[in-house]
Amino acid sequence: MDYDVLVIGSGIGGMESSIKLGDMGYKVLLVEKEASVGGRMILLSKVFPTLDCASCISGPKMSSTINHPNITTKTYSEVMGIERASDGAFRATVKEKSTFVDWAACTGCSDCQTACTVAVPDEFNSDLVARRAAYIAFPQAVPKKAVITRAGTSPCIDNCPAGIKAHGYVSLIRSGKFEEAFQLVLDATPLVGTLGRACYAPCESECTRGDLEATIPIRRLKRFAADRHYAEMDGPGIERPATNGKSVAIVGSGPAGLTAAWQLARLGYQVRIHEAEEQPGGFLRHALPAYRLPQAVVEQDIANVTALGVEIVTSSSVHDLEALRAEGYDAVLLATGTPRATALGVPGEEADGVLAGLDFLRQVRVSDAPDLAGKRVVVVGGGNVAMDTARTARRLGALEVRVAYRRGREEMPAHAAEVDDAEREGVSFEFLVAPVSVVSDPTGAVTGLRCQRMQLGQADSSGRRRPEPVAGSEFVIPCEAVFSAIGMAPDPTPFASLAGAESGSRIAVDPTTLQTEVPYLFAAGDVTSGATDITRAIGAGRRAAYMIDRWVQGRELGHFPALDDLLGVVDKAEVLARQKSHTRREPITADTVLSPAPEDFGELEPPMTEAEALAGAGGCLDCGICSECQECVSACPADAIRFDKREVTSEITVGAVVVSTGYKLFAADLKPEYGYGTYANVITGMQMDRLLAPTRPFNTVLRPGDGKVPERIAYVSCTGSRDKTSGNPLCSKVCCMYSVKQNQLIMGALPLADVTMHYMDIRAAGKRYNEFYEQAKDMGAVYIKGRVAKITEKDNGDLILRYEDIENGGAIVEAEYDLVVLAVGIQPNHEVEKLFTGERLGLDEYFYVAEPDDDLQPGRTDIPGVFVAGTAAGVKDIVDSILHAGAAVAQVAAHLEHVNHDRATVAAEVLA
Amino acid sequence: MSEQRRLGVYICHCGGNISDYVDVEMVKDAFKDDPEVVVAETTMFACADGTQHEMIRDIKEKHLDGLVVASCSPKLHQITFRGVAKRADLNPYQYTQVNVREQASWAHTDDHVGATEKAIGLVRAAVAKTKLSPELGGWVGGLGAMFPHGTSGREQIDLLVAEIATRPSITVLTDAELVSKSGSFGNYVTEVRIHGQEEVVTTDVGTIVVATGFDSYEPEAGEFGYGMEGVLTLPEFMAIVDSSDGPLTYQGKPVRTIAYVYCVGNRQPAGGNEYCSKFCCSATVHASIKVAARDAAVHQYHLHRDIRTYGKYELMYTESRERGSVYLRFPDDTPPSVARTADGHVAVTVVDALTGNEELTIPADLVVLVTGMVPRENSDLTSLLKLPVGGDGFYNEIHPKLRPVETVVAGVMIAGACQGPKTLSESVASGLAAVTQSAGILMKGFAELDPLVATVDTAACTGCTTCVETCPYDAISMITCEGAAVAAISAAVCKGCGGCVPICAQDAIDLLGYTDAQMRASIESLTKEPVS
Repeated sequence: MDYDVLVIGSGIGGMESSIKLGDMGYKVLLVEKEASVGGRMILLSKVFPTLDCASCISGPKMSSTINHPNITTKTYSEVMGIERASDGAFRATVKEKSTFVDWAACTGCSDCQTACTVAVPDEFNSDLVARRAAYIAFPQAVPKKAVITRAGTSPCIDNCPAGIKAHGYVSLIRSGKFEEAFQLVLDATPLVGTLGRACYAPCESECTRGDLEATIPIRRLKRFAADRHYAEMDGPGIERPATNGKSVAIVGSGPAGLTAAWQLARLGYQVRIHEAEEQPGGFLRHALPAYRLPQAVVEQDIANVTALGVEIVTSSSVHDLEALRAEGYDAVLLATGTPRATALGVPGEEADGVLAGLDFLRQVRVSDAPDLAGKRVVVVGGGNVAMDTARTARRLGALEVRVAYRRGREEMPAHAAEVDDAEREGVSFEFLVAPVSVVSDPTGAVTGLRCQRMQLGQADSSGRRRPEPVAGSEFVIPCEAVFSAIGMAPDPTPFASLAGAESGSRIAVDPTTLQTEVPYLFAAGDVTSGATDITRAIGAGRRAAYMIDRWVQGRELGHFPALDDLLGVVDKAEVLARQKSHTRREPITADTVLSPAPEDFGELEPPMTEAEALAGAGGCLDCGICSECQECVSACPADAIRFDKREVTSEITVGAVVVSTGYKLFAADLKPEYGYGTYANVITGMQMDRLLAPTRPFNTVLRPGDGKVPERIAYVSCTGSRDKTSGNPLCSKVCCMYSVKQNQLIMGALPLADVTMHYMDIRAAGKRYNEFYEQAKDMGAVYIKGRVAKITEKDNGDLILRYEDIENGGAIVEAEYDLVVLAVGIQPNHEVEKLFTGERLGLDEYFYVAEPDDDLQPGRTDIPGVFVAGTAAGVKDIVDSILHAGAAVAQVAAHLEHVNHDRATVAAEVLA
Repeated sequence: MSEQRRLGVYICHCGGNISDYVDVEMVKDAFKDDPEVVVAETTMFACADGTQHEMIRDIKEKHLDGLVVASCSPKLHQITFRGVAKRADLNPYQYTQVNVREQASWAHTDDHVGATEKAIGLVRAAVAKTKLSPELGGWVGGLGAMFPHGTSGREQIDLLVAEIATRPSITVLTDAELVSKSGSFGNYVTEVRIHGQEEVVTTDVGTIVVATGFDSYEPEAGEFGYGMEGVLTLPEFMAIVDSSDGPLTYQGKPVRTIAYVYCVGNRQPAGGNEYCSKFCCSATVHASIKVAARDAAVHQYHLHRDIRTYGKYELMYTESRERGSVYLRFPDDTPPSVARTADGHVAVTVVDALTGNEELTIPADLVVLVTGMVPRENSDLTSLLKLPVGGDGFYNEIHPKLRPVETVVAGVMIAGACQGPKTLSESVASGLAAVTQSAGILMKGFAELDPLVATVDTAACTGCTTCVETCPYDAISMITCEGAAVAAISAAVCKGCGGCVPICAQDAIDLLGYTDAQMRASIESLTKEPVS
């Protein structure tokens, strides 16, 4: 038996049960789903009828609970299932949710809370204000430890192959922390400015806001952060780390090589990059056209790398990796990409004027551009390189640029936006055509491209329908230049001689560790996979750097946490359901001006203004809740933040169970005639308690709509109670008394305010309760009998209550108030229904835990050994809950003593 | 105990000491027709180990709930047979010893017939006493179907009493009262006087649970017509309802109209009983449902101030209205009045606030004054245990939320309606909470005492005993120290109130933590610099 008793829920009933059982010497496990014990009582202002401050009553009990030698408390934990074993004991599955904070280290200083960039409704303040995603539940929380609220990985982060925390930098920009946003991206890759322009933004395609008006402009926000940074400084703005005495050679300076170099340099490695071209940057510099990615931006990004001491040796082709390694490097990374364009493979291809698109683009970037003025150009292919080639050709003055693609528009691998933009720049398309041969004149110059029409047949292995030739459909597209952009492949020369390393033209690697068959040799990027995109190359570069470091340090390679250990992605439907309301936000889009006859290579997309950036980032729905912006990590003086912490599930055996799962408050918006959720100045009783509490959010009683201090306050009793129309014919018992209490407290806080309560019966039933009610009347509170029919809102936010004044002749009266408090009642907590597996815990017809003999056996349920304490069994005020818990404890003790006695008897008989 | 008892009666030969003069077989036969005497046996030596085992077997196998042994003097073997009962899991106080040796056989050696008759008489008396011995249950034991489930109060009590009987660890003393208490919590020594007995029962107890309940409010003569025929209190009305079937009759006449006047003796203006008794609304609403169920034609008018059927009791309020009860609300400052009508009825005149303050007069066959609970008169116990009494006259807990069943007297708990009005289930819950609180103290086996208590300098004490009388907690007693009588203060009982310190003319008492020297230092420090 791990514990004598499992107590579920640490409200007043659960705490009282635990303490009393602990006092008797029983070992208790108390499981609480929130981060702090205390339940709802600790959130109240004062408690009736003594007007003790709730904290002064609950606080010591919370403290006694977690410090009791016989009580083990698991907060932020949930009981997932309980099953009764044949011996009458119970096996429970307890999940300790991850707090993402090392509580042993956390000092409760709340610096993380201050630094956090995500605001969510503060459930501990009844949603009156916001709290942060990193938070301490409330000031008197016990234990006073921080939690980071994470619903999962935000879709934008989850969909980024580079593992860049898109939600994080969006959230930082929203908070005006532009440099921090830049640094967050920089933490993954030096290519911040590049990604801000040339990334095809898989984050945006998954953005939940995209299901509303339009995606958050995530890529452009990154560009905004990069532009801000580079406008203020050259280089990364971080200190050059101390060297660790190890060195790594990297072959290739494209996104994978640069990213790996950056990461390794930050770890203290001496890194040298060998680049075959005259300039570093790989495809960033040689394949992407400047109108999409200006040269200066690439240079700025590369300067980040060199600023850390990375040496880039250009015009340095590496053909012998063994020899390179022999220069004294601890490891070598191959990141040479896919420099070889795939040939058209048709007759006449050698004609003058036929060029690979990739070569064409490289020539243009190194100022070696062919003259296309007045020429007709055919670009073969349907990918992004084809689009870049076509649009670049337009800029070089080509008279006509036609893209010939063997499938249809829908099947094009190029991004739709690229295709659209190409079209707007005057590029035309021939779909369902394939080249047959290049036609040239006797001088060997191209005069046309012979093509044949295609039709789409069965789907191939890529899922796209395979084009098949249409017999007899050949025709010639007259042209003076043919650029082929139908594919590219790595150059296998450097690794061709290494045993086991080659896999076709690619190099074979373990997909997780990126290690090749040759242990010192790692490979990343397109050289391992064939042509992909920048984000994948960056992701691979990060992974390679991590793995190289592990290998050089002699550690197990394992997997790459930044990409392999993400929390599950958040369900977008849940994100949308979580929003109380959406305000339509005008999408922030780039006003890119496209010319049908573009003339230069100037950057097309305009930068965002700061106002646009703030507005764009402001639309973020915080899907994962925590944005992973890492501000808490920087802020935490105890170094206690642990994003890699995960939930832990354990099985425990207990002798008895106390269910003290409490209640739910009635959701006031289920009474639309009272306007809760629509009228800003209609609040619930719990919200008023928060406004009055010592830890109140505004330090005074004010109305939420406009912050005005109310002078006329009305209470509407029996909201969601004694009301068949809202599904609850029961009386909630506590609402009259908490209203009367609040009436007194308001009259104390706002001596000039008039307080009126519209009631059905004042149920001041309890010791000193009626006296308390009389006291409120003596203080000046007015009590009007009759249920309020309807509330309407005036333009100025004041509210009109319509009711029948039954005690004064029955006239229909409309009374005006500044603030209306709905005295919401108690509802059963349906979570108890899921607690038990194998058998059902009996509930009464109103879904409270049933006590089959509540007269003489309070606290006993219909499962032997399972007991109920407090409001889980039906409405109770605090005093009743405490007594009920005391009764449940007596029942538990009796049960355990019986069981122990029976066991001892059986044991004695066995021995005899 | 209204149910059938199952008694065992054993008549001892005492090896001839008894059977030579008393015809023990005739004594045995005297009970052969008594259905509640399940076992009647004679035995050579009742006290012999073999016989004890037979008795234990009988008790267990035949589910006996009472034991009578006709043998010698209780002085000799009462403990023996109580032990038998205990070993058979029978409450040892369900055992009665009859002395047919000293009082029958030995006293009447010359008259065998007379001795036998006397023995039969003595055993019958013991059987009758045993059958009746526990009178537990309080108010609930007198009630029929109760709210909210309609279970009978009488049956509930029978159930509890039967449960008590099966627990040898429970000793029940009836017709008994606590007459003294000494010692400290965990180690109290109590004395209980049982009515009609000279000797008091002295028992060591760890804690004391006070569950002395309530009294029903008794209206003044003329209060809402009380004293008139047809005007009843709630308990009187419930007794009529519970003791009859079918349509309700009162004094032989059918009851067609009932008017209930709520809050009688409760929610009175300042100076009266200002509190609410909380059970009476639900009890009355429930009674009206019972009445309506027996006679759908009956008219029932409820004259109330607020109907406080809280929680699930609200369902009864709804049902009662569905069954035709009419609820009228009178203003707090205009209570109804009750008067006799010329035709011999009673009539209630009420201002109905819910229909525009119309004044209505309702002729009724019965006017039920819905009387609440009042604190039970219990001044002896209150002063004996030094129980704190609240402004409403009920016992006060230390704190309703922090320590709801404890009193300022350590180890003395209050449970049920003596603390304040409660329903049955609330009383049971508070009783069990008191159990829990007691167990928390007792199961631990030790207690931490507050060290800030008063101490006596025995050298300075003159033994004047002034402090002994002053102490409100009986913490001070006189002991002999080096031949002189001096005061001694129990650290377990002393609450550190300091009341004895200034009383002592010899300055022989100091309160630890607040010694004279400490207080003097505080005062000097306070007066060193003037504070405004």
